[in-house]
Amino acid sequence: MDKPVGDIDMEREVNVTSLALLASFLRLGASSFGGGMAGWTHREIVERRGWLTDDEFLKTLTVAQIMPGANPVNLAVYVGLKLRGVAGACIALFGMVLPAFAVILAMSVTYQQLKSHPEAQAVLRGLACVGIASSLTMGIKTARRLKGHAVPVLMAVSVFLMVGVMRWSLVAVVVGAIPVSVAATFWIEREKSRG
Amino acid sequence: MGDDKLLNLILLCIPLSLVSIGGGQTIVASLQHQTVDVLHLLSGPQFTDLYAISRAAPGPGTLIVALIGWEVSGLWGAVLSTLAIFIPSSILLCILGSYWQRHRHSAWAIAAEKGLAPVAVGLIFAGVFAVGQSARFTPLELATSLGAIAVLLTTKAGPYPLLAVVGVGYFLLSFAGMA
Repeated sequence: MDKPVGDIDMEREVNVTSLALLASFLRLGASSFGGGMAGWTHREIVERRGWLTDDEFLKTLTVAQIMPGANPVNLAVYVGLKLRGVAGACIALFGMVLPAFAVILAMSVTYQQLKSHPEAQAVLRGLACVGIASSLTMGIKTARRLKGHAVPVLMAVSVFLMVGVMRWSLVAVVVGAIPVSVAATFWIEREKSRG
Repeated sequence: MGDDKLLNLILLCIPLSLVSIGGGQTIVASLQHQTVDVLHLLSGPQFTDLYAISRAAPGPGTLIVALIGWEVSGLWGAVLSTLAIFIPSSILLCILGSYWQRHRHSAWAIAAEKGLAPVAVGLIFAGVFAVGQSARFTPLELATSLGAIAVLLTTKAGPYPLLAVVGVGYFLLSFAGMA
């Protein structure tokens, strides 16, 4: 699989059966505890199966991260699409989501059974604290990438105020904010490159 | 009654799927506000419970919609709301993915990659704000959250060991009648 590949070579013939694709993504879906899914997917798709080259995988990853949707699921869908078309995308989506879906439903049933117990309520309150903390940490880590530049920081603060505090429609705010933010970034980058 | 609620939930999920840049944490603010305050599918404490479960569960945080669907109308609710949150974004990805890949070195594509980050940051903080506000933390819970933030920011520990420690700790406190 170390043959040199060109840009267009994504559609090269790789013999990927539906069953093998399903098996791979069920395996990946079942190991989606925690993070690092890009690493797991690389190991399975590039190293173990040899279905994509490193270069192809990297391009796929970039697209998965930029498009809306959960990154690991996007990565699965796009790899599936590349390998077996729309059917492959469906198989990959199904395989990736099913294990986590089954686990979360089992947790939901357990919650229904236990929610009248005060201990269960206390544990859930504790988990909510850590859940919020991990979301906030994710926000702080992503915010660091803005590096304190005025325009992106102002953008982030405005979106927070509109959606979080004023409770405007999230969809409307995002649809309005993305073109403004992208155009501003485009302009800043152009000014920068002109020096 | 149940069917109306499920339909409302699905109609909420489809547009959110298309704007969930960076994944589930960016749409939490809207899920909380809409399911609790607007559509009255859940009570505030119920949403906080489901949020806690979804953050402790494996897989994408987006699966909180499966929990909401389950609460609203059982297994079908869970299945349909999960499809409603994953399929629209997947279709968009399949349509635009190869276009994006071909033009990824253009100035506009680079600006788009950088320009999405501030929007995502604002949305993540909005989600934290929405859940934090509706959770009405006690001083002990606030201290737990702040401690967890400190650990997550300063060490390489992931959330799972913390979830285990805090879960066991709160169980014991409750058992001892202290929380």
